[in-house]
Amino acid sequence: MTTKEPVDVLIIGSGHAGGMAAKILTEKGISCLMLNAGPVADVAKHAQKKAAFELPFRGFKPPGRLEHVFQSSGYNANVWVDEQEVPYTFDPAHPYNWVRVRLFGGRSLFWSRQSFRLSDYEFKAKSHDGFGEDWPIDHAELAPFYSRVEGIFRVSGAMDGPPQMPDGNFILDDAPWSESMQRFSAAGKPLGVTVCKQRSAQGRDGLASSVNLLIPDAEKTGKLTSLSNAVVRQLTVDKNTGLLDGCHFVDRISRREMHVKARVVVLAAGTLESTRLLLNSGLANSSGLVGRYLMDQIYGAGITCSVPEARNGKATAKLMGGGAIVPRFRNITSKHDKFLRGYAFNVTSRMGGLAPRDFAAYGTELQQKLDEYNGSSFYMSIMGEVLGRYENHVRINKDVTDAWGIPVLHVETRYTDNEYNMAKDAIEVGSEMAHAAGFEVLSHNAVPNPPGYSIHEVGTCRMGNDPKRSVINRWNQSHDHKNLYIVDGAAFTSAGWQNPTMTILSLSMRASEHLADEMAKRTV
Amino acid sequence: MQRRYFVRVLVAAGLAPRFLFGQQQAASPAPPPPAPVPWTLGLNPATPLPHTQVVETIAEADLKLFSAEQMATLTRLSELLVPAIGSKPSAITAGTPAFLDFLISESPAERRHLYTAGLDWLNAESRRKFNKAFAETDGPQADALVKPWMRAWMTDHPPTEPHADFLNIAHADIRVATVNSKAWNDSYGTNREQDPSGLGLYWSPIDPDIYAEDAHRIHVRPSPRNPAPKSSHTTPSYPR
Repeated sequence: MTTKEPVDVLIIGSGHAGGMAAKILTEKGISCLMLNAGPVADVAKHAQKKAAFELPFRGFKPPGRLEHVFQSSGYNANVWVDEQEVPYTFDPAHPYNWVRVRLFGGRSLFWSRQSFRLSDYEFKAKSHDGFGEDWPIDHAELAPFYSRVEGIFRVSGAMDGPPQMPDGNFILDDAPWSESMQRFSAAGKPLGVTVCKQRSAQGRDGLASSVNLLIPDAEKTGKLTSLSNAVVRQLTVDKNTGLLDGCHFVDRISRREMHVKARVVVLAAGTLESTRLLLNSGLANSSGLVGRYLMDQIYGAGITCSVPEARNGKATAKLMGGGAIVPRFRNITSKHDKFLRGYAFNVTSRMGGLAPRDFAAYGTELQQKLDEYNGSSFYMSIMGEVLGRYENHVRINKDVTDAWGIPVLHVETRYTDNEYNMAKDAIEVGSEMAHAAGFEVLSHNAVPNPPGYSIHEVGTCRMGNDPKRSVINRWNQSHDHKNLYIVDGAAFTSAGWQNPTMTILSLSMRASEHLADEMAKRTV
Repeated sequence: MQRRYFVRVLVAAGLAPRFLFGQQQAASPAPPPPAPVPWTLGLNPATPLPHTQVVETIAEADLKLFSAEQMATLTRLSELLVPAIGSKPSAITAGTPAFLDFLISESPAERRHLYTAGLDWLNAESRRKFNKAFAETDGPQADALVKPWMRAWMTDHPPTEPHADFLNIAHADIRVATVNSKAWNDSYGTNREQDPSGLGLYWSPIDPDIYAEDAHRIHVRPSPRNPAPKSSHTTPSYPR
């Protein structure tokens, strides 16, 4: 039994979504308690420069661990969630890569920083092509929040976006294209493909995370209290009112069971952890849709090329270098007969070396190839929208629990012809552009990585106006419990091809301001 | 006798204050006597640290996974795929075959099978075509067995066709294990900055779970359940 006073707002999760909620709410004078399941990472204390031979497995990741975290290595193996400590289950025919970080700041410590807005081709996708559901909001409504987020995260980019990639509040990138990029851009024009400057969060001091851009602002107010190593087991409800009143959590290190009371709960633990917590708590699910419509983006398909003029030591900064984004171009003004929605290309021109696997050679012959091709690399990789399907879902597997006895998620999701055909089309278009630009295609792959690999899992508590067809309303507020807000990627109604971070941050900002207003009016 | 008496007096004189002090403590609790100097006091940034060596450069291990014949095949394959070039050591000099025996032995069953079956196949092919073990092949013979299977491929998507999968994955592993070895690092002399593999930022365990070794508290890893028919699509599936 607790005797402590309830906190105003309990925020579960400390990544971009939770950090933004903490910043907005505390700056409006609201006291917040933030719980994070993992410890605080201190790079000065926990990391040091080492040569690969000094690592336990010569730089290979520890065998048998982190099999589903393709991004892991011997260097960073200890920053990811241990798959044995926090398992999940899936069907062997349809594996899922759940890539998780529980350090304070979550995945905001390690994200790629690509910073895009969704357009109305995503917000109003159903109106455009008839599939799925429209979001209850549009770009115009979210645009002011995108602008503020872009300012905080110092997003660089050019105002060169077509309607499907709205421009924003950028630090302008006016650097000239390298010649290889110009050739690639020219090759796209006959195909109706637009090549734009990359959009990337510069952050501060080399970091664009909640721990340096959001949480310090909240701490300055004196209104934020944070706990690390607090693994939330269950949200609790006042039986008389049906409102949430706090949570049970377990201390990760001591295993001590604790409880806190709160007037409002903001759920920001990351798409699937937030959903897992709701399912384990049996809350917010009058629609039966909690866990449904799991989406992400297809990654892994791509093309590796070489720019012939840059070989044999002739690469120059004028010829090589730079990054570009090819925003979705399919199903905008025409209709593709093999798939709905579309994909983007991430494009990179580099003066660095190519990888040994780019050549079907070994030994001295391989070394000669690596020397000859050094400095001439040109890469394309796709980010393709995965459709929101009811059958792609997560549920609780009561037969398996994590290290703290909390039932785990069973993930049941698969890509369909829509995604596979999209990937094939990308390789055909990319190869055509590469050849037209005079590049040599060294290797290509049209098979997406397993779902989850992109670390862009969204959906499972989708937003909508109809409580029977959605979990939260247009303000990220639960239809069932007005003092519950879900502000992470779980809120997404469609995935888009874009990195979701800017949208998560903007939605969290908008939802938190709404919450603050409601609390001021005492309606929440 | 006089000396013994003198010693007894000295001991008694030394004990007396402690005895009296103990009595005072019993009567009236007071701070405990000064403890010995804490052993950690001397551990500070100025403390010299012992110099240690990389274990593989000093000691060796018994084979954990491969048979002697498989190891001989892997050794020949390593020599073929990553020979010494210029100042760079070969996979053999880097101790790569022995390291891979350890690494693969610790890996999931699918990966262990990929290696053991792949090595057996390569050896059998060598006996079939050249009537000798792969370990005994000369350069042209080894090339004839291996080269047709080499492919260019993209990250996370090695070839999935039989034999090509083993040879290309093994090539990648042998190369990485060699480039990341102490011997390779030493080939740069004192100028580590030239080393393309360089120094990386290694993260130590961060407040590790003190119960993590407790098998009762750790349940199954992400685990396939309820086997279902294979998808009509080819999802990349290979050992890693």
